Amino acid sequence: MGPFFTMIKSKVTGTKSCSGVVETTMSREIKPKPKVAVFDFTDCEGCEVALVSLREKLLELVGEIDVVNWRLAQKRADEGPYDIVIIEGTPVTQEEIDSLKFLRDQTKILVGLGSCATLGGIPGIIDKEARSFWYKKIYGEKYKPRGIDALPLTAYVQVDYLIHGCPVEKKEVVRVMEELLAGKISKPRNYSVCFECKLAGNPCRLLARKICLGPITQGGCGAICVSGGSPCYGCFGLRDEPQIDNLLQTLYKFSDSEQVERYFSMFLKKTPEYARLFRKPKKPHD
Amino acid sequence: MQKPEFITKIEGHGSLHFNWEKNKVWLEVAEGERLFEGMVVGRPAEELYWITPRICGVCPIAHNLAAIRAVEDALNLKPSKSAVLLRKLLLDAQMIQSHVLHLYFLAAPDYLGLDSGLEIIKTHPVYFQQALELKRISDLIADTVGGRGIHPTSTAAGGFHKVPSIETLKKLKNEAEKMLESAEGCVHLFTSLNYPEVNTDLSLFAQTNGKTYETYDGKYISSNKRLKASPDDFEKTIDEEIKPYSTAKFGYHAGKGMMVGALARLNLQGKLLKGKAKEFFKEAHLDFQNPYHNNLAQAIETYQFAHESNEILSELIENGIGEKATKLPKNYMPRKVSRGIGALEAPRGSLYYEVEIDTKGSITHCNIITPTVQNLSSMEESAQAVLDQMKGQSKEKIQDLLEMLVRAYDPCITCSVH
Repeated sequence: MGPFFTMIKSKVTGTKSCSGVVETTMSREIKPKPKVAVFDFTDCEGCEVALVSLREKLLELVGEIDVVNWRLAQKRADEGPYDIVIIEGTPVTQEEIDSLKFLRDQTKILVGLGSCATLGGIPGIIDKEARSFWYKKIYGEKYKPRGIDALPLTAYVQVDYLIHGCPVEKKEVVRVMEELLAGKISKPRNYSVCFECKLAGNPCRLLARKICLGPITQGGCGAICVSGGSPCYGCFGLRDEPQIDNLLQTLYKFSDSEQVERYFSMFLKKTPEYARLFRKPKKPHD
Repeated sequence: MQKPEFITKIEGHGSLHFNWEKNKVWLEVAEGERLFEGMVVGRPAEELYWITPRICGVCPIAHNLAAIRAVEDALNLKPSKSAVLLRKLLLDAQMIQSHVLHLYFLAAPDYLGLDSGLEIIKTHPVYFQQALELKRISDLIADTVGGRGIHPTSTAAGGFHKVPSIETLKKLKNEAEKMLESAEGCVHLFTSLNYPEVNTDLSLFAQTNGKTYETYDGKYISSNKRLKASPDDFEKTIDEEIKPYSTAKFGYHAGKGMMVGALARLNLQGKLLKGKAKEFFKEAHLDFQNPYHNNLAQAIETYQFAHESNEILSELIENGIGEKATKLPKNYMPRKVSRGIGALEAPRGSLYYEVEIDTKGSITHCNIITPTVQNLSSMEESAQAVLDQMKGQSKEKIQDLLEMLVRAYDPCITCSVH
């Protein structure tokens, strides 16, 4: 890959961020052999394992960049500033939230890797309010918890690209990284999982009266879960113009709202759409 | 006390802390709590094995299968013989994936004087190619049988949603045969390394059946201190202690640290190995009181699991996979509230699940004890032993040795804080 000196326009993709988001003031110019750092917050590290599973392709990518900090793989741990920071996991503890805000200031490009980073992921199933009950039950009364709430990175900072997936799809990681190195920020797939599910030749779950979030979910996964016989819980995040209400009309023909909510709560619990659909409006204070 | 620095090249966030004046060392775990045992309560039984693999991206198959076994135990479901063989094949692939990742990318740099596993490509290209080959083929088996290696999609309580065709299994067998040579290379590499000497009093634990080198279906929890308990009683066997400096619990047995994993398994059932694996085991002269030898033990196991996966593939190809493997129950609702236990050997050691399911098929209780919860206690005791035995050495040297020690245990901090 030749040298590239490209200005990348700032663009936030995916889940809309909350207020109070730290915005970057750094230029987005990416030089050849950019300094790349990989960090992980609270998660299972499966997306980093997916990176390692790229094998030869990973070596090829690593040849194009300078990996200056990656705790899982090396002792070298340079301090910033960096060109690209990749973050896996959800910032659950105060230390992680502080690190995230610090890293935002230290990097030109910030990429979220995997559903924990992009959506809050599986840890997001537990609500902030429910945590104190489970802390007591699991760790006992005296325990001082560290975790606050499992939220996506975009709850705290501006993120330049979200690579969704639980775990990420290897081909998508390569696509996004190659495009980044070529000086452009990728766009999410603007079609739903259904498209790839048809290509995979799977019978439609909806026609079999089984709940499926494929129609409202971004493509890119290759419909791997449905192909294996499992449901689609939407780990790739909502697609553009998802038309959720249309899907709900279909789902309610053969399932109740409790079942539907359960599907949405697997990966999408910390999205504004989940709140709109399933959270009961709070009564205003007297 | 110095600024905490996370130990590099381990799964998750742990750090060693010292009080040099008092000659004390302890292990802090700072990973955020995810509360999996709470997360699954109120959800249907079939979501247990969808959610809990996400405890760990390095050994998701082990969690998936242990969760499935717990649900099957509660509902009294019996998977078919070929379904069990496919699961054993999946678990073999999981062991190889995890051991290879740890041995070459995380542990080997310590012994070869390198910063990162990726540098081995320059210094030891043949061994590196063998590592990539083992990773490629074990990933292929996991993806093919599990639907996806990281967080399986085709497994289920009662059997499988989908199984590979015999044609696919034949292709898989052609590839699996190639693992044997690379796995031999792995044993040679790790036999040739110099391991630090340390003398500890390790209590080693593994699930065994006394007949075969078992990982999927152990009948007992055994130890080198003559314990023989039932996996059903795992909660009585392992005492979990909560420490103010750790988000992970520490597991003890009779007040003493527990070591689980490859070294423990070879100690307790190494005699049951056959063929070349048995020869490698004999020639390695493992020191079962030296935790650094866990790396050597993992290399020997890599060969054993590569060999076993070939045997299973041959059996499946010869006998075929019957329709019963994909015959799943219509629902997962027991007649009365039921408790189930799922236990197996994960790459890092014994993994235990307890689940309770009500008549609507909802989970009402869940308890999980991971291998690293057990290992943390032994790790801290061994670290103290190294510190005591290395008096007079420089702080830097001791810290390096201790980081190597922690790495040798192959801790999965993410697993330990679930």
